This record gives sequence, structure tokens and C-alpha cells, in this order.
Amino acid sequence: MESNKRVYKILLFLTALWCIGILLAPALRANFPAAASIVYSAYSPMCHQIDGRCFHLFEAKWGVCIRCSAIYFSFFLSLLFYPLFRRLSSPSYPNRWWIALAVAPMVIDVFLNFTGIHPSTPLTRTITGFLFGFALPLYIVPPLLEGIAQLRSQFSARGGLFYARKAQ
Amino acid sequence: MLEKPNKLRIALICGVAIGAVSAVPGLSLINCCCCAGVWLGGVLAMYLYKQQFTDGMPPLESSDALMLGLMSGIVGAFTATVINVLILTIIGPVEQELVKSMVGKLLDRVVEQGALQSDMADTMREQVEQSIRDSGKLSNIFGSLFMTLILYPIFSILGALLGFAIFRPKNPPPTTMAQ
Repeated sequence: MESNKRVYKILLFLTALWCIGILLAPALRANFPAAASIVYSAYSPMCHQIDGRCFHLFEAKWGVCIRCSAIYFSFFLSLLFYPLFRRLSSPSYPNRWWIALAVAPMVIDVFLNFTGIHPSTPLTRTITGFLFGFALPLYIVPPLLEGIAQLRSQFSARGGLFYARKAQ
Repeated sequence: MLEKPNKLRIALICGVAIGAVSAVPGLSLINCCCCAGVWLGGVLAMYLYKQQFTDGMPPLESSDALMLGLMSGIVGAFTATVINVLILTIIGPVEQELVKSMVGKLLDRVVEQGALQSDMADTMREQVEQSIRDSGKLSNIFGSLFMTLILYPIFSILGALLGFAIFRPKNPPPTTMAQ
């Protein structure tokens, strides 16, 4: 149980760091352009970062676009409140069809925009991204906690260095 | 009892798929949406791995998803870098012109349809040209490999965990939770 809490806290910390980085890029841009450029580059493999499709802070675009921001920040929020509606000690999985429902609005929004039937707006990007990001931790946290616990016990059973020392 | 299927083969297949999706011009646009190509590679790895299980084998566990995601992501990062370098070395200038013209035509069409504003299209054109200019530099290649070696395993693990949650056995064995 303690181990699960520790893993959860590390995951929460890393996600918070990831989200702070998104806001750090525009915050640094005015006074530390070189540092801001490094932060923008770090996020560039994952997002197009088109200025017109990003939220802005201090008149500079965020590290990622509106949809990606919505996904990451809602992922963080969902993770933050996770222990309130799910137990860390005995992870349980929601029905697998809920994830399809969570991702469907985003896919439809992208499809409609790409085909030119209906252009996506900042609001639709935010809402659909938020839905997907909020649902993700419900599916990812249980196997993550379970998987790390399994790896620890497997490693320990094989006489792993760290655990062998700890056991002595 | 039989042993679990070998993860390396699946990781190699899905890693190459991740690398190809991330490096082939045009296809790589998939990764513009939160590394969707890498996520999907992780999900695919989990699906393919689950197909390898037969009766008499130990059940699929979430630790398998972690390891498979990690391995696929690492293979994917190296494959993407190798494919990028190969494209640059073998068909560099031709490919660059091809990408420029393809992206230009695609953007013109999207602007005509009203799905994208013209200033955004111009920004995208500039970004494509800038990335093409920078892509050949050795420091950029190693920098890109460094970033992808961090990011791809993370997103691939997330994809594999999501895949596990979707494709997991209906009657899983009792979980081994750390005390």
C-alpha cells in the first residue's frame, strides 16, 4: 500500500512538472528567450505548436496547443482527485467502453475539422481534450501500480541487488 | 507450465512501426497530437502480445505492459532516428522538395476549405522549411535522439498500459500488490 502511494505521488509530481513546463515556456520567453526556446523544443516532438491554436500567457503561446493542453491539464486534475474516487490499494478497472466514449468526441472533432465539414473551435478542442485526458488516469493508474508492484516482487524473487540488500 | 511469449519480437515489430510512423514524412503528422503514433504503437504492442498467449501459459500481467511499452519506445526512438538519417542521406534534397511541395499543396487545400486560416498556414510553411533546414545538422540528430529516447518510452508505456486496460483478461489472476 505504501509503495502504491509512493508511486502515485511520483506520477503526480512528474505530471505536475510536465504541466508547469507548458506554462514555463511563455513565462520565460520575455526575459530568458534561450531557456524558453529549449522548453518549446522539448515539447515540439509532441505538438505542432501553431500560434493560432495555442493558449497565450504574457502574449506568448503555451508550450503545446489548446487540445494538448486540455489533455495534459485534465490528466493532472484527474490524477490529483484519483484517490477520492478510486482506491490505490486495490486498483479496479472501469468498463473498457468508457474510454471509447471519452475519445470519440475528440476523434469526431478532428475528423469534422480535417474534412472541412465543421471547423473546430478553441471551445470544442478544450472540451474534447479535457474529456479524453480526464478519463485516461482511470485506465492507466491501475495497471501502472499493479505492474510496478509485480516488477518489484519479480525482481526481489530473482535476488535483485537493491531488494536483496534491503531484505538483509 | 509453458513460459510467456517472447516480448522482444513484439517490441521490435512495434518499435519499428513507431519509428516508421514518426519518421516518414506525412505520417509523422500523427505525432502532432500528443504523440498519438507512439501511443498507438504501445496499444498495438499489447494487442499483438496478447494474441501470442495460448492455454497453459501464465496469464497476461500489467508488468508485461510496462516492459513491452518501455522496450517498444526505446526501439521506436532508435528506429525513428535511423530512418530520419537514412532519408536525409539517401534522398535528402529530393525528399525535402517533396515534403515542401506536399505540405504546400495540403495547406492550400485546407485553407481553401476554410478549415485553416491563411496566417496559420504561413506559420506552418515556415516551420516546415525551418525544420528541413535544421534537420541535417549532427547536433540536431543527436538532440532529437536524446529527446525521443525520453519521450517515446514514456508515451509507449502509457499506450501499452491503456492497451492492457482494454485487452486485459476478463478473469485476471489475484493481483500481487506490494505491502
